[in-house]
Amino acid sequence: MMNATSTASTLSAENVSVWFGERQVLQDVNLVFPANQVTALIGPSGCGKSTFLRTLNRMHELIPSAGLAGRVLLDGQDIYDPSMDAVDVRIKIGMVFQKPNPFPTMSIKENILSGLKLSGRKITDADELVETSLRRASIWNEVKDRLGDQALSLSGGQQQRLCIARSLAMNPEVLLMDEPCSALDPGSTRRIEETIQELSASMTIVIVTHNMQQAQRVSDQTAFFLADENTPGGVVEFGSTENVFNQPIDPRTNDYVNGHFG
Amino acid sequence: MSNLASRQPWALSSNTFKLQLALVSTIPSIIGVLFVILGNLDFSIGLVGVFLPIQVLTVAAFGWRKARRRGLSDALLIFFTIFFSTLVLVLLLSVLGSVIFEGFKAMSPHFLYENNRYVGTTTSLEYGGVGHAILGTLLIVLLTTVAAVPLGIAMAVYLTQSQSKMRGVVRTVTQSLAGLPSVVAGLFVLAIMQFTHIERSGFTGALALFPLMLPTVARVAEESLRLVPPDLRMAALALGAPNYKAFFQVVLPAAKSGIITALLLGLARVVGETAPLILTINMNNTTNLNPFNGPIASLPTYVYSFLGSNYSSSQQRAWGAALVLLIVVGILFGSARLLSRKKSLKTKPAKKAKK
Repeated sequence: MMNATSTASTLSAENVSVWFGERQVLQDVNLVFPANQVTALIGPSGCGKSTFLRTLNRMHELIPSAGLAGRVLLDGQDIYDPSMDAVDVRIKIGMVFQKPNPFPTMSIKENILSGLKLSGRKITDADELVETSLRRASIWNEVKDRLGDQALSLSGGQQQRLCIARSLAMNPEVLLMDEPCSALDPGSTRRIEETIQELSASMTIVIVTHNMQQAQRVSDQTAFFLADENTPGGVVEFGSTENVFNQPIDPRTNDYVNGHFG
Repeated sequence: MSNLASRQPWALSSNTFKLQLALVSTIPSIIGVLFVILGNLDFSIGLVGVFLPIQVLTVAAFGWRKARRRGLSDALLIFFTIFFSTLVLVLLLSVLGSVIFEGFKAMSPHFLYENNRYVGTTTSLEYGGVGHAILGTLLIVLLTTVAAVPLGIAMAVYLTQSQSKMRGVVRTVTQSLAGLPSVVAGLFVLAIMQFTHIERSGFTGALALFPLMLPTVARVAEESLRLVPPDLRMAALALGAPNYKAFFQVVLPAAKSGIITALLLGLARVVGETAPLILTINMNNTTNLNPFNGPIASLPTYVYSFLGSNYSSSQQRAWGAALVLLIVVGILFGSARLLSRKKSLKTKPAKKAKK
């Protein structure tokens, strides 16, 4: 059933700097996301971690004033290379948003298949793909009898897992998650965390979170972002989650993970 | 049973209070009616001079007794809300009522399908009808809709989806065009017709209605597209959708009911227009189904041409045509709403999943 055929890829950011208009919000971010690892991006609000996440699958460029320098490599290939198509990049690198955003005009089943339809790919075995995707997002049992229902009839937590399943149906190599649990209750949060653990067997995951415990529970490595007043944000510390939380090198990391600010 | 009584603890509890409320709401109208009947007062004077002051005073006293100034303001707000809503409702219903009442006299099966070929101002109602005008109205409005709705939606798409600096200009022009008097649109097309020697036809009529329908459709469609959360488009793009698919398969369906409202308001704007059609088509008493050759009749121009007559049979024809116009509008609106509802129901039943 869980035929995870997708091959996870290594994603890396080299000297990524980001601007909105004249304002620089990120400076020289260097991070490597190894295949099959879960990386947590933590840091106070406004430090640019969500913005950074959006540069990883070229969603950043949809903001009119956006600017970027540096390279983002997917298995060694620059996704911003002129020969790369943004659409192809987004097919390989999926994304789950902060707020659940299922397509309201579609049923649960149609939502799962929407990615294939929208990217113009052929659907060979729709029923099996729907079941596999929903199972991988651990929501199959709750919705298997109502696949034709409107997606909005689900609860918030179910909607978010539906959105994860929708991304999984595309069989991405990398999955980006932007605070996927911030709008959810503890029960739904736990289930999504379990899902993340299972998914890391078949893909590379990058997750932005404000929840320290969550970062510790789900991630293998952690990057701590910080932006001082009126200066662009950047990575203060990057290493294994174990080290970042228990033996941080930078005193600011220590203050943040122990709840002294932010 | 005592438990049942305590389910709505905010309901009016004391009987004296209920009695006061009943008196406050009925006594002024009774006094007003008595004045009108016994004092032989004019109805409007009775309403404004007798009923209104007494009602305001009693309502104010009632509110004051209940909660002083706060109660007074509350009571007056409620009273004026009800009073003016009723006033507007009565006015609207009397317009509708008189059209139905007068129009019904002219109604008969042949009135709906015959044309006016052999009808003069004094011809009895047993002959002739508005069949040609119904077809003409449908044809002209259809022609206008086919041109204005896709273009209006396209403008709305441009105004909401593009980042171009021209948007402000386009929006301002659209908004000022929305206030264009219909006579001006008619005159404009008439001037073009005289300049280019184009003959009067259904097409020139549709041309005159087009600038009236376009801005209405564009503005309402723009509002409804703006209400679609940007998240949805982002979600589609993040799934690898090209821009056009994200728009056509996600954003546009999400705005569907608003777009249909845009279509209906656009229809409402043009279906009863008279002046531009008189200028650009004038009248035709026979059935003409070719919008590019010769004048076409329409219901509003039919009403206009018969209402001015001194003969009662002609006036009744006009009333009848007005009623038919109302019915046509009702059918158009009803079917558009039905169409939009049917489609959204399709995704609801869970049957497909069970097999």
